[in-house]
Amino acid sequence: MAPRLATVPESHRVHLDVREGLRRGEEPFARIMAAVKTLAPDHVLVLRAPFEPVPLYDVLGKRGFAHWTERHAADDWSVWFYREVGRRTVLDVRALEPPQPMVRVLEEAERLGPDDELEVRHERRPVFLYPQLDERGFVHETDEPEPGVVRIRVRRR
Amino acid sequence: MASPPAARSGPSPLVPLAYLTCAASAFLAAALGIGWLARDLASHYYHPRVLALTHTVTLGWITLAIMGASYQLIPIVLERPIWSERLARWQLGVLAVAVVGMIAHFYLGTWPELAAAAGLLAAGIGLHLLNVGLSLRGFTRWTFTARMAMLGYGGLALTTLFGLALAINRMRPFLPGEFFPTLHAHVHLALLGWVTPMIFGVTARVYPMFLLAPVPGRWSCRLQLWGLAVGLPSVELGLVGVRGLLVPGALAVAVAAGSHAWWVLAAVRGRKRPGLDWGLRFALTGTGFLLPAAMLGGSLAADLLSGPRAAVAYAVIVLGGWVSLTIAGMMLKIVPFLVWHRAFGPRAGRERVPTLANLSWPWVEGTAYALLTGGVALLAVAALVGEVTAIRAAAAVLALGALAFSLVLVRILGHLSPRFQKTPATLVA
Repeated sequence: MAPRLATVPESHRVHLDVREGLRRGEEPFARIMAAVKTLAPDHVLVLRAPFEPVPLYDVLGKRGFAHWTERHAADDWSVWFYREVGRRTVLDVRALEPPQPMVRVLEEAERLGPDDELEVRHERRPVFLYPQLDERGFVHETDEPEPGVVRIRVRRR
Repeated sequence: MASPPAARSGPSPLVPLAYLTCAASAFLAAALGIGWLARDLASHYYHPRVLALTHTVTLGWITLAIMGASYQLIPIVLERPIWSERLARWQLGVLAVAVVGMIAHFYLGTWPELAAAAGLLAAGIGLHLLNVGLSLRGFTRWTFTARMAMLGYGGLALTTLFGLALAINRMRPFLPGEFFPTLHAHVHLALLGWVTPMIFGVTARVYPMFLLAPVPGRWSCRLQLWGLAVGLPSVELGLVGVRGLLVPGALAVAVAAGSHAWWVLAAVRGRKRPGLDWGLRFALTGTGFLLPAAMLGGSLAADLLSGPRAAVAYAVIVLGGWVSLTIAGMMLKIVPFLVWHRAFGPRAGRERVPTLANLSWPWVEGTAYALLTGGVALLAVAALVGEVTAIRAAAAVLALGALAFSLVLVRILGHLSPRFQKTPATLVA
């Protein structure tokens, strides 16, 4: 187990067991995401599943979560999801109508820790967003990794 | 490679809002004036009062609206900061005085004073072109929108010089050729050289943004560009003397208009956005008016139709239907965004803020849509028939629509007041 996880007190662990639900044919994704959404910054999610939930690693990784996996048996797994120190969040706002991209970016930016980074994927340079980021003490840089995609990296100053 | 943002300080929403507010005032004034001029509209369009009405629409409403939108869209669409927002404010003052002066002197039929106002207008437009030109110094990303904007600004410069020449010609005749073909050339230079490229160019960038749609095929953009590039000079030459170029020029313009309509339809079909708000319905209905506009314009060019009534009906469909409904729709998207940005942007991300729809009155927008679209269609038919009573009835519908539209804008702009900004809870409910 990662040393940091061993020190997490029981009161900061959110346990979610989806084994029984899966056996009944229920879809656990919504429950997992609901648990993640309400997770406090210093809490961890301990997921119990009948198989290794590999797709979740990517989904939650994009939200800044690292994971540690423990295999108890072939059909019994525990996965700890926790926020990385200096986490990186990717936010794609290309399918949103103005001003929602600005609202979403500023919401995510306000949650950034001192070493965190927010990577925004936009379809244009958001000229109305930059002054808001400047005024709120964020540093940002913009590039275009591919045609039609504008990437803005945001960190606290 | 990482690069700094295009505009560190950010564009001021108040500059475009000031232009758009002046434009909307001109729209309301024009709509209220149509009923008053019903008898003149039923006779011949070359009447001082009808010319005053026409310039209220073309300069006060359309040109100021496009200029105001430019001051918002150049930073967003072309990703260049405005060279001088202070100059943009001064320019609005010059233009407002010039436009009011021109309308007043057209109405009164006082030609030397009209020429003076036209000179002031040319100065104001020159300031705009200077500001835009300096904003775009070193610009290298020649997208379809950028090319169309350049075509439009070139068309604006030529239209202004042409109009100034017509004003001077009224006192000291020096222009060759017959008067009415020359007048028609001025009108079509403004329409095809200034208004059309700006609408085509801006549409290509903002409709996918509003509709959440992928950008439809590039071939359509090429047809729009080449259709106008070939059609505009052909129509102009056809009108001032080389008659054989008029019909081919009109056909090239019709190809451009048809490609644009196809492009808009493809964007609507490919949209991810489930519903259409009233702003989009206005703009898309405006595009629908391109079909009767092309049919009437083509018929006039081919001499299948003639006379002042058909010309007035054509002007109503083009200026009132296509251009005005498109601009009204875009204003219902742009104005709430600018107001939202000014009033609630600094609080976004920290607390709940209203959506754009919360700032407006959708049912009044719907009322304005029904009255304005219906009013334009009625007015076009009434002008074609030349029936004064029918023109007055259509004008009444249009005036009510313009009042409803103005009411919506007043409601949205009201959120700039601190009184509204202190109570977002009532808006986000």
